[in-house]
Formats: sequence, C-alpha cells, structure tokens
Amino acid sequence: MALYDNKYWLLSHIRNSFISTDDTGMCELVMVGESKEVKRHLGNMESYPEPDESDDDEDDFESYDLQMDMDFGIRERSNTAAQLEKLDQARKKASKMRHIKWETSKQVEDLDDLFVKKDVSQIVKKPKQKSMLSVLIENFSNLPKNPYIEYSKFDGSGQVNIPTRKYKIFLTMLPPQQRNYPIHICCVATAKVQDLIGLILLKFSANQGECNLNLKPVTNYGLYICEEDGEVDRDFPCLDPRECVAKFGFTCLGLVEHKDNFKSVTFPDESQNVTNIKEEINRTRTTSEKSKADENRQKNDMLAMDEHNKRMEAPLYQSFRVFMINKVRPKVEVHIGISGERIEIDPVQQKNSKLLPFKQKAVSHHMDTIASCEITDTKSSRSTFKLVYNSNFGGNYGNQGDVEFSGSSSSFPPSLQSSTSFKNYDFECDHATAQDIVQKIKLILELRSSASRKQYIATKEKKHYKRKNFNIVK
Amino acid sequence: MTIDNLENDQIIFATGGYDHTIKLWQTHTGICNRTMQHAESQVNALEITPDKQLLAAASYQHIYMYDLASNNPNAIVNYEGTSKNVTSVGFQEDGKWMYSGGEDNRARIWDLRSKNNQCPKIFEVQAAINCVCLHPNQTELFVGDQNGIIYRWDLRTDNNEQLIPENDAMILDISISPDGYLMASVNNKGRCYIWSLISGTLDIPTKLIPKHKFEAHKRHALKFPHLHFRSLPLASVVECFHNLYPDNDHKSISHKTKKYCYHFFLYETTSSLLVTTSADQTAKIWNTADFSLLQELKQENQRWVWDAAFSADGQYVFTASSDGYAKLWNVKTGAMEREYAGHQKAVTALAFRDVS
Repeated sequence: MALYDNKYWLLSHIRNSFISTDDTGMCELVMVGESKEVKRHLGNMESYPEPDESDDDEDDFESYDLQMDMDFGIRERSNTAAQLEKLDQARKKASKMRHIKWETSKQVEDLDDLFVKKDVSQIVKKPKQKSMLSVLIENFSNLPKNPYIEYSKFDGSGQVNIPTRKYKIFLTMLPPQQRNYPIHICCVATAKVQDLIGLILLKFSANQGECNLNLKPVTNYGLYICEEDGEVDRDFPCLDPRECVAKFGFTCLGLVEHKDNFKSVTFPDESQNVTNIKEEINRTRTTSEKSKADENRQKNDMLAMDEHNKRMEAPLYQSFRVFMINKVRPKVEVHIGISGERIEIDPVQQKNSKLLPFKQKAVSHHMDTIASCEITDTKSSRSTFKLVYNSNFGGNYGNQGDVEFSGSSSSFPPSLQSSTSFKNYDFECDHATAQDIVQKIKLILELRSSASRKQYIATKEKKHYKRKNFNIVK
Repeated sequence: MTIDNLENDQIIFATGGYDHTIKLWQTHTGICNRTMQHAESQVNALEITPDKQLLAAASYQHIYMYDLASNNPNAIVNYEGTSKNVTSVGFQEDGKWMYSGGEDNRARIWDLRSKNNQCPKIFEVQAAINCVCLHPNQTELFVGDQNGIIYRWDLRTDNNEQLIPENDAMILDISISPDGYLMASVNNKGRCYIWSLISGTLDIPTKLIPKHKFEAHKRHALKFPHLHFRSLPLASVVECFHNLYPDNDHKSISHKTKKYCYHFFLYETTSSLLVTTSADQTAKIWNTADFSLLQELKQENQRWVWDAAFSADGQYVFTASSDGYAKLWNVKTGAMEREYAGHQKAVTALAFRDVS
C-alpha cells in the first residue's frame, strides 16, 4: 500500500499511462522534456522524502505494471514519423521532377524570335470536315455501354488523399496460359467486395483485346483468397460481397466465376435475392466438390466409430421405459434395465396401481437365460418386440410363475423341455427405443453366445424341419 | 494494340478536379486510361501542349507538367515562383512559350525553349487575374481581372490597353475566335460581351469594336466554339465567394480554394458557336451570327458546370461539372452522348485536343 501514498509513483504512473496510450507521441514529446523539472519541483515540496525515491532517478516513467519495452514494440507509429516519411517521399518525388523557378532579371534579347506576329488574315478556314472525335463517336454510337462502367468510381489508382487498397487479382476464368499473371487493381478502401469485383471486370474488359470472354454480371463472381502463385484456396469461402474491402487483409485474390448461373435477372429486387441465395449455394457447392470424398470417408469413419461404440457400450447398463403386453392383462408400464449380465424388468409405480387386480412383479433374468430378442410388429406409431428367455435355466429369480414352471418342468428330460422351457415377454414402445433395445440385447447375446441361445436356435430349426416333414407327409 | 487505340491516341481528353487527380479518357468508350496525381492542390486549369506531349495543370503556386507519352503518374516539370493560385494557362502555337495568369495579379510568359536563353516576361495588374487569352496572332494577350478590366497586352512592345465593359463586375473569362475576328467575355453577372477584332499589321495593335451584349446566364457563365468561350454565372459564384470570404478581401483568396474557374476556350469551326458554362447548372451553346441560344445542356443534379470544350468540327462539346462527371454532348440534338465517370469529387477543368 505504501506505493499508493508515494507521489512520485503516482506521478510516474499517470505520466506513463499518458505516454503509453497516446498514439500521436505528443505526450511523450512534451513529458519527457519536463520530467526532471517536475521531479525537482516536487522534490522541493516534499518535506519528508521517502528513502526509496533516491535511487529511481533513472526510471522516471517506469510504472510497475506497464512494461514499456513491450509497449513500444506494438505501439502505432506516431504522426510525427508518418509526417516525416511523407515529407521524405515528397522529396524523393520532387527529385524526379524538373523544377523551373520564375526568374525576373533576365533581359529580353530575342523578342523578334520569340514573339512573332502571325497574320490572322492568312488563317485559312479549313473546309468543313468531321473531326476525329465525331468520327469515333459516330462509329461507336452503338457501342454497348460497358456494364461495369459504374464501378469506375471505385478506382483507387492515382488517388492521393484517400485510403486505397492494392490487390493482385488472378482471373481463374482465363485460358491457362494467361491465367498465371495477376492484374493489379487499386481500389478505394471504402468500396465493397462487390464493387471491387466490378472494378476488376471493368479493368479487365477495358484492357482485353481479342480475348472475348463472356463476362457475366458481378454477382456471378466471387473473390477467393489465393496464393502468390495464383492458386485459389477453396477451403475458404469467397469474401462476402457486401462487406467493405478494407475488412479483409488479403492482397492476393482469385476471381472465380461461379459455375451455376441463374436465368432470372429481370426483376432487380428478386434477382438480388436470388443471387444471394445462389451465391450461398455456389459457395457451399464449390467447397463441397472437393471435400465430398473427404466427407464420405469421414462419414464411413463416423459410422464405424458409431458401430464400435455401440458394441463397446452394449454391455453397459442402460434402462428403457416400455409397456409390457400381456394377452389377458392390461398393459403395464415397466422399466427394462439391460446390462451385460442381466435384464431386469421393474414395474413403474402407478398412482392407482392398488386398484389394479394384480401387480406385475419385478423380475430379473440372467443374460445367459436370454435366448432371443426381436421386433415382432411395427405399427404406425409403436413397435412391439419379443424377449425370449429360457425359464428352465437356473437363473430365474423372483418370478413365482417361472419358478413354479421350472419346478414342474424339471422332471422332464431337457430335450422334451426344450419346446416348453422358452417363454417370452412382449413389450411395446416407440420405434427408436425398440430398435435400440433389440440391438443392444442382440449385441450382448452375440458376445456371450450362451447355451440358452444355442438351444433356442436349434429348437427353432428343429421345429421348422418338423413342420416341413409334416407337410411332406400330408 | 488495336487501330482504335492508335487513333484514339491522337485525341486527348483530360479532366481534373478537386479530388487531386487528373484523368485521361478514351473518348468513345468512357473508359479512364490513366490517372495522374496532383497531390498538392485542386486543378484550376488544364492545357495540352501543341505537340501533344505534355499536359499542363494550373494549381496553387505551381504549374505542373505531366508527360502524356509515358505512364508516369507524377508530374515531370514544376514551374514555381507564383505566390497564389494560377488560374489560367496556355501555349504559343509552336510551343515556344507558355503563358499563365494568377491570383497574384500577374500574367507571365514562361520560355519553354532550352534553359539557356530564358526570356520571362511579366505583366502586373491591380487585381487577381481570372483569365488570360492569347490572340491568334500570337503576340497579344488579353487578360481579365477581378476589377472588371480587360487588358490587351502586346508582347512585342509591352504596351497595354485597358477596357472596362461594365463597372463592378469581374471578368470571368475571355475567348477569341480562332480566326481572330471575334472576342467574347463574360462577367460575374452572367453577361456576355462581344467585340469585333480588327487586326493590324506588325506592331499596330488589334482594335476592339463592341458588337453585342447579352445575358448568357442568370448567374455566371461562358464558353465559345468557333469562338469558343466559356464562363461561369455570376450569382452563385459571387454567393460562394461571399461565403468563403465574408469580408470580400481579395488578398485572402490566395488560399488553396478555387472560387471559380472561368476560362474561355476558343476553337475553330466554320459555324460560329459559343459555349458558356455556369453555376446555374447548365452549359449553353450560342450561335454567334445572331447570338441566339442553340442548345441548353442540362442534366438533373449535375450542379455547377465548370468548363467546356468543342470538338474540332463543333459537333460535340465536353463539359466538366461538380457532380464528378465529365460529359459529352451532341450540339445538334442537345443530347448527352457519353459520361466519363471516375472522379471522386467535382471536375473543374478539362483539356481536349481533337484531330481534324
């Protein structure tokens, strides 16, 4: 805190702030000169100079939180410097000029030589004939007006007192041998990108001789960032035609004709809109052409990743909310919790569940008992799927019916049991959930390849085979 | 390079103005061929040398010469030594010397021949010079000043003769027909005076015989073909003048402000036409046989018309105006044929050299 009581420090800080924030350099000029004086003045008034002030004579303006060196590096050039440079340039320019001063002293000697009177009566009136201008104007009376002539006012070449921007423009629509050399365009800094395009086309159309390129309206072209060698960088979109050119710092640009042309140019307002939209489309299109392959590859990669993720995630616990369907009972909303180990079915607590004649009890099936899961029906809004499990398998918990059943069936040999030991649940839910559940369970089953599943598949095949046989017998 | 370009090279059309640039144009397409920098001041007047090699621009304290043959955007010669605005500039028909007039009250002859035998001449008047016009006999200069006096300055004898067409009116421009038979002058009241000129042989001075007087413009104006003159209308220039210098102190006019530019351009055609330009936003073409109005060249919002020049056959006329455009008009129809766009500010001077 002591720092803030120190006059010297405060003064230094204030001066420092002035100097470092004043781009004109005026503060610096003024303050540096008077620094010692101020210091002395202050020193006299200060009756109790603090000990630490004696040694900071050198860094008068060193503030504790401003790094002057850093600041100088990024500080804008002062007006003085700019002014000096201007003068220097003017001097250079003047050196190329011949200067003829008015001299008054010289005596006129050769009057007769210099001032010869011409007899005006001898001036012969030329026969009336057309001047070159008239001939030209008449010959070119039907000359179509250059459509870009209105952009001539954005020409910055030769302008001295207004900011301008210089560009190297590569015209990509030229034949290859002419394309390699840029045309140099200078435009006023206040022009929009669209105006710059117009100016480029104006310059080009005015200079081109035989090369009769079919030039199109300004809106058919886009300016792209481009390399020094004229290679257009299509990874970036074209410069926004409505933006001011001063906004973009690139000096090397490529003029690209957008491929798809539109026909309606008749209604100015509408075409304006159409153009903009078209531009958007074109812009995206040009970029997409090149990257389509990339995109496809990327898409495949994404799919593969997705697949992979699903497989990896399949054993992870996930719960879904579905309805359990039973032929005799009403639909019951349940949670299905699926993990790599087991499937749990829990009824959702319902408000008036007490009124229901019975309650669905929570059951849990070990994954090894699950034989199959597949979608059985797809309605307009919902899908139903069937979960088949082996009730005979050891892993039945909590379901009385199942336990009973398994108990009764245990006496049968496995082969006989097989047809009856498989039971199933039917569920109903929306398509996406059904899909997810079925896929998830299938993936888990594939991973586990449990005995129940093999048995179920074998049984199914056997059934199928039998049915066939019956058919043949009949 | 095509034939068109070659042909066009012989026609030179230059414009200059307040945007500190001078532009050269391809006349039939309206395309700007070249832009030259005129950084230090506005362009008061432009003139092309008889050999078509150089373009002279009258500006503040200087006359700059630009090379028409090269692509150099900067002036190559700087004539200095005048203290105020140079308001008019012109050349002897063989390019031996250049004449100028300025707000420093002096008309000067600059020797353009080799450096060694410079032979400058100076003629001082009582007020700022608005216009200087060379008689086709190449030995008499007519100088018009802000006091309303026209001086006939004989270059051979250094004698001069004064003429005051109207009291309390500035002479804005003077023009003499190429055949040397008519002289026209306009003042800031928009009034145009015509004299018949009777040439004398050798050192016998040209006689001026008042011929006609008419109201050319409501404000200021003027310019002629066959006699081609031009001038500016009175009211607006005076208005502007007062706005800038409320005390009407002529000395303070020496700044880089161009109050008005009224120069007459003479040019030759079998039919006598006079064009006058004005701050009333028009240029007018007059028939010098009876001084009837032939055409009024007018366009919406073109603002002040500063300068004008006829084509060699008098069929077309160029104008320069404050709207930043130079324009080409058909004298017969009065229709605008071309527009030369590119200047960022008012176009105040033009120079045109036709081929016939």
